[in-house]
Amino acid sequence: MKDFLFDMIATELEDAVGRENCSTRTIDKLTHSVDYFWLSRMWADRGLRMPEGDFIVAPKDAKETSAVLKIANYYKVPVTTWGGGGGTQGGAIPVCGGIVLDTKRMNKIYDINEQGMYIECGTGAIYKHIEWAANERGYATMHYPSSLTCSTVGGFLAHRGIGVSSTKYGKIDDMVLQMEVVLPNGDIIETSPAPKHAAGPDLNQIFIGSEGTLGIMTKAQMRIYDQPESRQFRGFLFHNMTDAFNAGRELLQKFKPSVMRLYDEAETASLIKKIVGVEKKGAFMNIAIEGVKEMADLEMKILLETFGKYGAEDLGSEYGEKWWKEKITFFYPGHMMDIPQCFGTMDTIAPYDKIENIYWKMKEAIETNFPQAKFIAHFSHWYEWGCMIYDRFIVDGKDVPQDPHEALRLHQSIWNCGVRTAIANGGVVNDHHGVGIKLGRLMKEQYGPAMQVFEGIKKQLDPNGIMNPYKLGL
Amino acid sequence: MRFSEKSKEHLDACRFCWMCRHICPIGNATGLERNTARARALGLSMVARDAVPYSDDIINNVYECATCGACVKECVTGWDPVMFVKEARLGAALDGKLPDYILKLINNFNEKGNIYGKDNDPAIAAAGASAQSDTLFFIGEDARYNTPQNAIEAAELLKKAGVDFTVLDNEPNSGYSMDFMIGAAAETKSVMEECAKVLSKYKTVICYDAADAKVMKREYKEWGIGLNAEVKTFTEFVSGLIKDGKLKVKKSDMCFTPQDSFLLARDLEETEPMRDILNACGCVTEMLLNRKDTMLAGNLIMAEYMGDVMDAVARDRWVNAKNVNAKTVVTQTPAEYAILKRTKPEGIELMTVEEAVLKCL
Repeated sequence: MKDFLFDMIATELEDAVGRENCSTRTIDKLTHSVDYFWLSRMWADRGLRMPEGDFIVAPKDAKETSAVLKIANYYKVPVTTWGGGGGTQGGAIPVCGGIVLDTKRMNKIYDINEQGMYIECGTGAIYKHIEWAANERGYATMHYPSSLTCSTVGGFLAHRGIGVSSTKYGKIDDMVLQMEVVLPNGDIIETSPAPKHAAGPDLNQIFIGSEGTLGIMTKAQMRIYDQPESRQFRGFLFHNMTDAFNAGRELLQKFKPSVMRLYDEAETASLIKKIVGVEKKGAFMNIAIEGVKEMADLEMKILLETFGKYGAEDLGSEYGEKWWKEKITFFYPGHMMDIPQCFGTMDTIAPYDKIENIYWKMKEAIETNFPQAKFIAHFSHWYEWGCMIYDRFIVDGKDVPQDPHEALRLHQSIWNCGVRTAIANGGVVNDHHGVGIKLGRLMKEQYGPAMQVFEGIKKQLDPNGIMNPYKLGL
Repeated sequence: MRFSEKSKEHLDACRFCWMCRHICPIGNATGLERNTARARALGLSMVARDAVPYSDDIINNVYECATCGACVKECVTGWDPVMFVKEARLGAALDGKLPDYILKLINNFNEKGNIYGKDNDPAIAAAGASAQSDTLFFIGEDARYNTPQNAIEAAELLKKAGVDFTVLDNEPNSGYSMDFMIGAAAETKSVMEECAKVLSKYKTVICYDAADAKVMKREYKEWGIGLNAEVKTFTEFVSGLIKDGKLKVKKSDMCFTPQDSFLLARDLEETEPMRDILNACGCVTEMLLNRKDTMLAGNLIMAEYMGDVMDAVARDRWVNAKNVNAKTVVTQTPAEYAILKRTKPEGIELMTVEEAVLKCL
């Protein structure tokens, strides 16, 4: 961009949000160019700079966001929304430069509504902060992903995030009541006052998961829950995963635990052994039951009877409690995979009639085509009809090319192999990390002609194509 | 800028990790992505790789860290952003790249003996009980030049307990502020050595400011600076006076909410003496993030160059206090008292720990 036009746009943005909230400093551009996506990390590790935004802009509310989008539309400057930057799919990387719109100034908690059981907040609020706000009144958000402390409300909404207690409390898209959204043309809209209705399609669900390609969510009402009177844990060891799937499916026809996590033998022998201390061979499964004590006690009885039928070894409460305490520990540097390893989580979801087959097919595809890769998995979000696989590939540093272009090729080819295998066997592109630039190309392969629905909405709302270009396959 | 191997290891661990984002008082106050341990680590790791120069705006970002250690406390795998921040500050000093606002404070120190460039308040020297005691009441730079009245009240409290102590008119600088600004530079060590020489003439040193106690108990020891005197924090000492019956405190109907100083809670692992004092004076209501999890409420050195942000940091802490319907917030350090005072909302009181005790004698 020529200096003169650059300065003109900069001064208009400064006018919209205040000079102190519009930066062109190297440190700001740099820190908004690398998210949790392996490729951006690898690029930085090799001493290369990722594509950077030209302007880092932080509006304080929908009105300022609207002003920024109007400027961007006029000059046809790309806008990439940045929440916490903790996404794994490259969704927040400003691949075309332009404006990075950081939402974290929109972090106000407007209302803790104990009648309606929700917190209304700006989408730039860190989720842990709204959890604290709920806790101070004796409530909880029940959204406990490993990135709870890293990511914003908007980030979770934009990528359809999920927490460890999802089986009872739902995914982020189940936890939102109403939202305020700024459309690409700068119009500020509100979704339906209640999430369940017959007033046409659900506007919430159009913007949730849209990854900043259709507009910017600026305010949301997020559900809060009573703190459970009782939270009880039980660890089990299954002889094989088939038994575990059958046991889990049967259990879910009876009641919903909060946490259900099944680890394959490889992950039981690695991460679970290291962090939780389970030494035995088999597939470890952790269950948490919570709510009113009397009901939790009864559910525990049903759990033990049901899992007993499938030959599960009851490991007692100790491992489960340890797991709960350490549930985020898994993700700290030193425990989590990190550069120089090449790795990725290819989470997918399917009904019970397909899920185990997808696991075995993906494992076979990865291990056959990439013998240098290790494949581990757990199954951590369960429904009455199916569950998700959190499957990961890990390539040791010694097997990862130092040349960044070759490393990128290896990474992309493993992803293509894994996700295409999932799709071919009835899975979806992704369960709860989103699509970003990483998986955009595969969206078309999953949806086929259905993709035109998304493309039509995109064309109508964002005719200049300024919103987060090259993400979500749009 | 060349980093030690240890720092490089920590930079590389932190550069892609956001787990401590929520706990950073500066990041919470500004909402800026660069005010995270991860952003600082990423920027410095790129400097270490010669991908970007150690430029002014990366250096400025290094000075936006309060070194409060909340991120260090939060990290379950033991990575230490404070360590690489201090090394980066030392590097900026050695490379002749200190920002003007830091140079100004250092010039103040060289000219006036304190970074604030202020003159000594004669009332403080007069606050001592005796000129010949073997116990020194060390006021420190923050209180002496920013909240002298608090130091005078603290001395008053010691006198009421019958403590025989000296206050120095020409009190040496502990080196805390130099350590904050340029880390383990020769100049910092030299200031500390001078201070240790003076302090070693005393049997006991009671530090009014936890910042001074922290460097005397930690950095002096770590850097082999000999200090013969026994160093006690003011809260530890006053708590002892109450337990020994030397201060007869009457329990009131007041309710106090402690603002734990990270210097005491995290660096010196002292959390209970203030609670013992306040429980003797009334009742205690805790706010979110207490004891070792405490959140910074103000830093006077940083207030010299980012005053607005310090005010925002303090306002965040007032929100925590208000959320538990705190009646009176009690501070342990002059810095937090000063910044909380200037941002105090209506309907809630602010006291130093000595004020609380004086009200209950």
